[in-house]
Amino acid sequence: MTGLKHLNRILEWVGSNSALAALLVLFVVASAFVPNFFGERNFVAILYQYSIIGFLALGQLLVILTAGIDLSQGSLVAFTSIVVAVLMNRYGVFPAIAGGLAASTFLGVISGLIVSRTRIPPFVVTLGMLGVGRGLALVISDAKPVSVDVEAFTNFGRANLGGVPVSAILLVLVSLLLLYFVKYRRLGRHIYAVGGSEESARLSGVDVKKVKLLVYALSGLLTAIGGVIWTARLHSGSPIGANNYELESIAAVIVGGGSLFGGVGTVTGTLVGVVLFGVINSVLNLVGISPYWQGTVKGVLILLAVALSQVRRPSRLR
Amino acid sequence: METAAPVLSLKKISKSFSGITVLHDVDIDLYPGEVHGVVGENGAGKSTLIKIMSGAYQPDHGTIHYQGQLLKNITPRWARENGINTIYQEIDLIPSLTAAENIALGNEPLGKGGSIDWAAVRSQARRILDDMGAHLPIDVAVGNLKVAHQQMVAIAKALSLNSQVLILDEPTAVFTSSEIELLFNIIRRLKAQGIAILYISHHLDEIFQIGDRVTVLRDGYLVRSGLIAEFDKPSLVRAMVGREIDFSLRNGHSLLGEEILRVKNLSRSPVVEDINFVLRRGEIVGVAGLVGAGRTEMARLLVGADPLQHGEIYLNGRRIRPTSPMVALGLGIGMLPESRKEEGLVLQRSMAENMAYSLVQKSSRAGVVPWKSIRREVASLLSKLEVRPANPNLQVTYMSGGNQQKVVLGKLLAAKCDVLILDEPTRGVDVGARLEIYKLMYEMKTEGKAILMISSDLPEILTQADRILVMAKGRIVAEVPAAEASEEKILAFALRLESEMV
Amino acid sequence: MITVINQFLSTKSFDTRAVLRVLLVLVGLSALAAVLSGGVFLQPRNLVNLVLQNAGLIIVTLGQFLVIVLAGIDLSVGAVMAVSSVLVVLFQDYGLVGSFAVALAGSLVFGLVNGSLVTFVRLPAFVVTLASMQIGYSVSKILSDAAGSRGGTVYTGLGGAEIPQGFTDFFKDSYWGVPAPLFVCVLFLILVALYLRTSPGHFAFATGGNERAAFLSGVPVWVVKMAVYIISSLLAGVAGILFVSRVGLGDPQAGTWIALDSIAAASIGGASLSGGLGTVAGTFIGVVILGVLNNIMNLLGVPVTMQPAVKGMVILLAVYLNSSRRQN
Repeated sequence: MTGLKHLNRILEWVGSNSALAALLVLFVVASAFVPNFFGERNFVAILYQYSIIGFLALGQLLVILTAGIDLSQGSLVAFTSIVVAVLMNRYGVFPAIAGGLAASTFLGVISGLIVSRTRIPPFVVTLGMLGVGRGLALVISDAKPVSVDVEAFTNFGRANLGGVPVSAILLVLVSLLLLYFVKYRRLGRHIYAVGGSEESARLSGVDVKKVKLLVYALSGLLTAIGGVIWTARLHSGSPIGANNYELESIAAVIVGGGSLFGGVGTVTGTLVGVVLFGVINSVLNLVGISPYWQGTVKGVLILLAVALSQVRRPSRLR
Repeated sequence: METAAPVLSLKKISKSFSGITVLHDVDIDLYPGEVHGVVGENGAGKSTLIKIMSGAYQPDHGTIHYQGQLLKNITPRWARENGINTIYQEIDLIPSLTAAENIALGNEPLGKGGSIDWAAVRSQARRILDDMGAHLPIDVAVGNLKVAHQQMVAIAKALSLNSQVLILDEPTAVFTSSEIELLFNIIRRLKAQGIAILYISHHLDEIFQIGDRVTVLRDGYLVRSGLIAEFDKPSLVRAMVGREIDFSLRNGHSLLGEEILRVKNLSRSPVVEDINFVLRRGEIVGVAGLVGAGRTEMARLLVGADPLQHGEIYLNGRRIRPTSPMVALGLGIGMLPESRKEEGLVLQRSMAENMAYSLVQKSSRAGVVPWKSIRREVASLLSKLEVRPANPNLQVTYMSGGNQQKVVLGKLLAAKCDVLILDEPTRGVDVGARLEIYKLMYEMKTEGKAILMISSDLPEILTQADRILVMAKGRIVAEVPAAEASEEKILAFALRLESEMV
Repeated sequence: MITVINQFLSTKSFDTRAVLRVLLVLVGLSALAAVLSGGVFLQPRNLVNLVLQNAGLIIVTLGQFLVIVLAGIDLSVGAVMAVSSVLVVLFQDYGLVGSFAVALAGSLVFGLVNGSLVTFVRLPAFVVTLASMQIGYSVSKILSDAAGSRGGTVYTGLGGAEIPQGFTDFFKDSYWGVPAPLFVCVLFLILVALYLRTSPGHFAFATGGNERAAFLSGVPVWVVKMAVYIISSLLAGVAGILFVSRVGLGDPQAGTWIALDSIAAASIGGASLSGGLGTVAGTFIGVVILGVLNNIMNLLGVPVTMQPAVKGMVILLAVYLNSSRRQN
């Protein structure tokens, strides 16, 4: 009898923390059966690779919470990298980073303005922005990679503190900031309200337009942070890389408990989703599955995740 | 009680929409600490009255005084923030947020450094709900609460805004009796706190139980108003009915033919329970009942729009299983849906196209459509229905309500349906088009078709139907031949007052 | 003058008016191009080239147009095109008909998956097709890898039998003075126009405009939706075959921009992203307008790299104009 009760409680927990449960199971199985999986080196590698997607996923989370979507993230990463690379070779590290962050945020603001002031669906707006971002990257760079040889900057890409990649530490710091923002600031809290029911939120005095503008701007900014790290790692700005990064960020949010219909999703859940994808990626690599197959596997996983989230659609009033 | 000044006072309020006056010189006063019941049939003007009070509509004539001040051009936002709150049937809450958060939303208490003070958010919610006497979990997403609890959260939210006037629109529509009792206890507490409450309900029992005053509206006119003690149920029903019925609209005599549709034990719990009836060729059977009685849900079962739980349907004596509207149309059973813009029409397409959809489906073989004969069919229907403007290529969105409704009717005619289920066939239709629709219904009847007409307009039911089924709580509670029917009698059945009235 | 035109138009159906509107835009842009190029633009050869260069886009856009009519979107068309192009080359041993059949069968799988997830699981189309785009590009690389790729690109004649010269020459040939790709384009324009005259095709407008009303009118909504997603993938597959014929190789990266281009062209052509509106003629003109825009950008010396950015803005503008017109 008590055994059954325990089982019930376990099942309940799994139901509401499915991403974490999946992560734990996969982690245990992989540690047991996949050679070279369990070990500091591999863990560091996972953190190293997936911290970039982590920043994108946090931005995507904010947008998805308002029942929106940002398809422009991958091309904004490329755009940021080009802006950073070009500015760095002329003006030095800090103006370059500031310029990269500002440029990508600016495009995010434009998406946000269009989404909040017109009735054009967010996926169309950000699809248009995908073209604009990629195009600007190509124009500025003349479709060629722009190399960066400022060592202080490229070292930062690989830097670690006590064995942990700086990028992962930065991701944790930003996540904490975001956790505070969506929990303790009115504006942050209202992101959830807008996604839950736009009309009710408006009637309760929530500034819906401001909230929507904000999430796309923040998505632009967080994407740009990922883009800066990406540039440092590549030692160059690339106008054609980072394709489909938005797909992984969307997947991480959904796997982490977010709903495409808005109002549901958490920062911690999203991070779990990111790590889960990192572990999956690592396992696929370690068992020697070719990167080509990985695309298929990930695509199928994403479809499964979205299909599951459809089943989990938030309950409605009446 | 009489000496206190009213907190909200409406004088000589009139409102019309595109030439049709829906409120005529209505006076109503709400006093602090009183429950003012408003009753009336569908279309009597109750919802317009609420919308004027809550700032959603501006009156054409008349004045509104609130706390002694004249109000002009107020917005819903202003009304909410200044103490006039409406709890609609569609509850305005955010399902994914907790009760405490919903109550605080937009006015979250802030603590140090402008951070939200969650302890204060929760204690505020607790306090308001305790004051109301409502006991419900405040840390659960409201989407997971019972409807009754959701409504309490909505009321608590209104109170957090320092509400002076609370408007409750059909609050008990989906409540169980214990939930109603819970709500009444809350209302009594609010009264004691000096809040004025406008209580709209079809359920006269509730008005007598909780009301201090009652106002009866009929066709946009205030018929009677007074202390509840001045009324009993029969007098209230008499005041509600008494509408002018133009019996010259009487839809001819019954032309009874053989049985065409027989329905046995039709059920889809909890909205439709054990429905039995027979429909004969050449008759119009009216289905009366209050909103939420299960009429539309029953109609949807008949055409296969929703899956049947159990029950049997016979067409011309043969058992049929309409598993989808496509199958039903193939069998000759068609429905005119309640909401023509959401379910009846593809607004951005042309009227000819809309009219032909069912016919195209029915007459095409392996995807090949006989366009020529379809075009001929539609052209002849267009002239028969006298749709205006008579441009078959016009997008439906640019047509008037009456002509749009004719297009939906035309769709059923084009598909050559023998059984027509018309759900509110004249809602939002002007008088001229209404008469034309009646004429069409009569023609169909003489052609030997059978019509099941759901209507919330009692005069319409009384003049058009040959036989009337009355539904309440998902069941057919009475069947009344047109000759023996009166508005009072039907309403008594629908309100389940038959024992007291007859 | 304008009132006379308006009067004339008001008696015509709304579809005709929409086509005339985009035609007007095309005429205006062509005049601009003619002036900028000093008349070169209007030379027959240039005009024919315009269509030839965009033959694949026209075919893909026809499918995209159908999906948009359903109020959906198909982001996977480029990936399906890539898969199809690789399959043609991989299975060249099977002969022309055989390899085409395999390529189209592969495309069909994508249509079935997209359609089922959108229709039965009710997932948003953009997510489904975004994921199947990723899967498609990954599959195309796996396939070209299996063929023994050279720099990721599969050349005809690699490993298997030669693709008949006739096939790769097909694009360069003319028949009765008309270039072959023009035939193919016209063929598919007619096929899609005919499809819209069948009942499932006709019902795409009703289903996209108001699915509930369509369902209650007896429209077999699921058939309509499945059919459209399947057709869109098949047309992308055809574009992949044309690609092999034109370029002489299968490219696992083919069609990178074609999803964006086709959405832009269909929106310019008057298809509304909220569904229920659009015409085949308008869609064709939409592609041509996009081609003329490219031409004008070239004439003005706008770098090729700028074009995605311009297209992104064109999509936004076209969608905005469509949505604001609907509100009036």
